[in-house]
Amino acid sequence: MAKRILHYCVLFVVLVFVQVLVCNNICIFNVATPFIFVYFLIRLPIDMRINWVLTLSFLTGLIVDVFSDTQGMNALACTLLGAVRNTVFGLYVTRKDEIADTIPSIKSLGISVYMKYLLTMTLLYCVIIVSIEAFTFHNTLMSVLRALSSTILSFVVMLGIDSLVNTKHEKGL
Amino acid sequence: MRNLISFLIRHSSWFVFLLYVFISLFLLFQNNPYQQYVYLTSANSASASIYKVVSGVTSYFNLQSINNDLQERNALLEMEVINLKRQLDDCKIRMIADSISLPDSVAQSYEYYFAGVINNSVSRPMNYITIDKGSSDGIEPEMGVVDQNGVVGIVSVVSKHAARVISLLNPNMKLSCKVKGSDYFGSLYWDGVSPHFAVLEEMPRHVVYQKGDTIVTSGYSAVFPEGLIVGVIESGMKTNDDNFIALRVRLSTDFTRLSTVRAIKSNLSDELKEIETEG
Repeated sequence: MAKRILHYCVLFVVLVFVQVLVCNNICIFNVATPFIFVYFLIRLPIDMRINWVLTLSFLTGLIVDVFSDTQGMNALACTLLGAVRNTVFGLYVTRKDEIADTIPSIKSLGISVYMKYLLTMTLLYCVIIVSIEAFTFHNTLMSVLRALSSTILSFVVMLGIDSLVNTKHEKGL
Repeated sequence: MRNLISFLIRHSSWFVFLLYVFISLFLLFQNNPYQQYVYLTSANSASASIYKVVSGVTSYFNLQSINNDLQERNALLEMEVINLKRQLDDCKIRMIADSISLPDSVAQSYEYYFAGVINNSVSRPMNYITIDKGSSDGIEPEMGVVDQNGVVGIVSVVSKHAARVISLLNPNMKLSCKVKGSDYFGSLYWDGVSPHFAVLEEMPRHVVYQKGDTIVTSGYSAVFPEGLIVGVIESGMKTNDDNFIALRVRLSTDFTRLSTVRAIKSNLSDELKEIETEG
């Protein structure tokens, strides 16, 4: 248990640092930005109490906000994502009792279910954050392009992180 | 009472959710960029010190191009000094005995503070810059910020050892500008498309301009002195209003690689503000 908490702490710190120091400066073709810290929310155990999920989501968003000067934007998006997480999970996994490990991963869910879950969550996050940003700019085509390209980029980067985290995790145990 | 408590516990997740959403919305719709909590911006001591460490490494990457910029600028200034010296000599010869010279206090009404950029963004809808100098170094809110090429932004939130600057690439920032050599002024804002271009709007219809004309600050706001270079005219733009024209301006500052900036303190700005609030 303690090992798992430590694992999540390390994951959180690394993801937030990489997000604010590297990913925030990436903007491919002036539209696509990877949002990788969402991976932390995606990886939280599925049987975690919803209040805890909401609190962690809000805090994650707030910390990213502080570093990137986006007052409340990521905090709101993360809170909404945390709220719909279990619903999204329920779309793809009908019987939650049969899952051996409560941490969502390729091993515990199977590759196709996990991919669908990851992609849906990423898409949701990017759509939410781009819609919030759209309060300042009313350029629909640009917003749609931003949401879709950011989703694809974040998804690819998160798959990479996924393989890194899993190999490290297995070796560690 | 027991029912109420059990109701609250059963639906606690909704209350938690709504609480967080309200906090986020409150932060999101806090419009005034000058009145934000310092500890919720990148100028707070924790994030500023992290950015300082990282920029200590990354600032080396641009040294070559910055060096070139500085050498060009240096050459320009040297030329100017030579020219001015010659003019000064001319004037000295022709000086009439009863003329008075300009007092120093009027000529030097602006002070400069140097600062390093430790965090910068250009791709978001609202961009901010974090600099490594704060209130203990003399930085105050609403000071203008420039680099060697042109205008950068205005200081908004200041902590002890860091400050956050509203970048020119931010819709909250409007800059009063004019075409160099004429007295017609308009307001410059960023339209969110490219970090290299901004729009100068509200220019009177009869202003004569040419592609490549220099756009400078008008000096009406007391934040920036008059005549600082902002950019050059790229093209005209269509507007809905028949009485005014808009111009697309290529910014002279390269926001994608800012390194050292200067914050300008105007000794007159307090006085001017006082007068403006009285009127």
